[in-house]
Amino acid sequence: MPIAAILPYWEFAKKAFAREVTYRFEVFTSVGSLVLRIYLLRCLWTALYAQNAAPLNLPLHAMITYATVALLMSLVLEIDGTRLIREKLREGTIATDLMKPISLPFYFFSDGAGRTLLYGVLVVPTLLCALLLVHIDVPAPRALGVFALSFLIAYCVNFLLNFCMNAIAFWTLETFALQLIVRWVSDLLSGQIIPLTLFPGVVGRLLFALPFAAIYSTPLLIYVGIVSPRQWGTALAVQLLWLAAFSLLAGAIWRAASRRIVVQGG
Amino acid sequence: MLAAYAQYWRLNLLTLFEYRANSIMWFAFALVYHAVALGALYVTMHQFPSMNGWTFREMLLLYALWMTGHELHNALFFQVVGVPELVREGGFDRFLVRPLDTLFQVLIVPQQLLPDGLLLALVTLGIAMPFSGLRITPLLLFFVALVVAGGALIDLGISLAIATISFWVVRVDTLRWAVMSLEQDFTRYPISIYARGVRVVLAFILPFAFMNYFPATFLLSKQETGLGLNPVVGLLTPAIGVAWSAISYAFWRIGLRHYQGTGS
Repeated sequence: MPIAAILPYWEFAKKAFAREVTYRFEVFTSVGSLVLRIYLLRCLWTALYAQNAAPLNLPLHAMITYATVALLMSLVLEIDGTRLIREKLREGTIATDLMKPISLPFYFFSDGAGRTLLYGVLVVPTLLCALLLVHIDVPAPRALGVFALSFLIAYCVNFLLNFCMNAIAFWTLETFALQLIVRWVSDLLSGQIIPLTLFPGVVGRLLFALPFAAIYSTPLLIYVGIVSPRQWGTALAVQLLWLAAFSLLAGAIWRAASRRIVVQGG
Repeated sequence: MLAAYAQYWRLNLLTLFEYRANSIMWFAFALVYHAVALGALYVTMHQFPSMNGWTFREMLLLYALWMTGHELHNALFFQVVGVPELVREGGFDRFLVRPLDTLFQVLIVPQQLLPDGLLLALVTLGIAMPFSGLRITPLLLFFVALVVAGGALIDLGISLAIATISFWVVRVDTLRWAVMSLEQDFTRYPISIYARGVRVVLAFILPFAFMNYFPATFLLSKQETGLGLNPVVGLLTPAIGVAWSAISYAFWRIGLRHYQGTGS
């Protein structure tokens, strides 16, 4: 793709960033909320480890690191870049957008990325506050690099999952409740709330086979070292596989959806 | 006044049937929300069976007691939570010129609110009580009903206080959000896991611990290790609820006298 073709999307991302900055209040709230939750997780795991046998590969400091990094990741991953689809459908503006000489999915992606960037910046103050409350392990530079790569793939998988969920609005118009349901379920099944290694037996093995694991679990297990350097290749390959599968699915949904525009009053 | 209240519930239920598919989805959401919270707790406690002496079964009772009190509040008093928005947008001024009690008018704004969350909470409580080893007797049910009512009043006291603060400070979202977070996340666990300052806040300043922790400690005949109190304080929940909401109501009345509106 030539540079000139990318430029408009870069502008969309910058606009989204600027728009979000004006909602400083919400930004402040999300940082505060995370700090409270980091305090809570420290109390929770400290109490649990004090009175019970620790799981073999996950001592207390690794668990606290896992849970804290998961919360920091959620700052970025909980942004739903594609909720615009729903708003545009409800207001009817999607019809004019489809006429514009841009790729709408890429527009949504760049809008989401711009907002994500702001929240990405917020990781810094949150991290500083977090460090007052908990100690976070830092892995070797190479592991950190692989974690970053895995996180990037996770971001894209998460974006596509949101995209598919929001695109359902083309058929049913009201999808918010459904979306919240998927969000909550995926928080649990992706290892955001607790590591998937804590799930017992068959359930645990099944969860690793689901796409949700590609969102939080894989990067986090790389970070805390449960996925060892020898397994990095496989872990990333599985993530990429889910990325490919979701790209195909999102593409198919989008093609079907744009043929089928029903504008709700507007 | 009673007729107006009956009419309000009739409207609410009519909207339920009008938007049936949407109502079902929201009910499913409530179900999933609580299932995820309890699922995470179950998996955690499967690996770590004791949290400061509390088992999963006992913590289920903790969760159910809080949930039922909170959902009873949401079913009856949820509009109070919306007062800061009404104040900001100027809609609140309407209530002041009508010849009915202001708080009562706030409570009967139709909002498509359905007692589905309460229903879910009652089912959870119905499972949690025998599951946590309580002997179900009429006396127990009577006491649990009082705890739930007291819990709803504690919740009301807090949302009413925040609503009143919004008469002076227009943007109370930060405060409301901090309190909500304390309530939703911190009430899931026995207060002994927190630092002393947080325990004191949860017990005496924003008395969420009286919604579930203290009554559950008493019902399950456990030691109160958080603040070293006699477990009998668990019996105080209804009184605390009444006192807390009465104080808030007095504060609300003072606030109304000072209310100036935002000019919007």
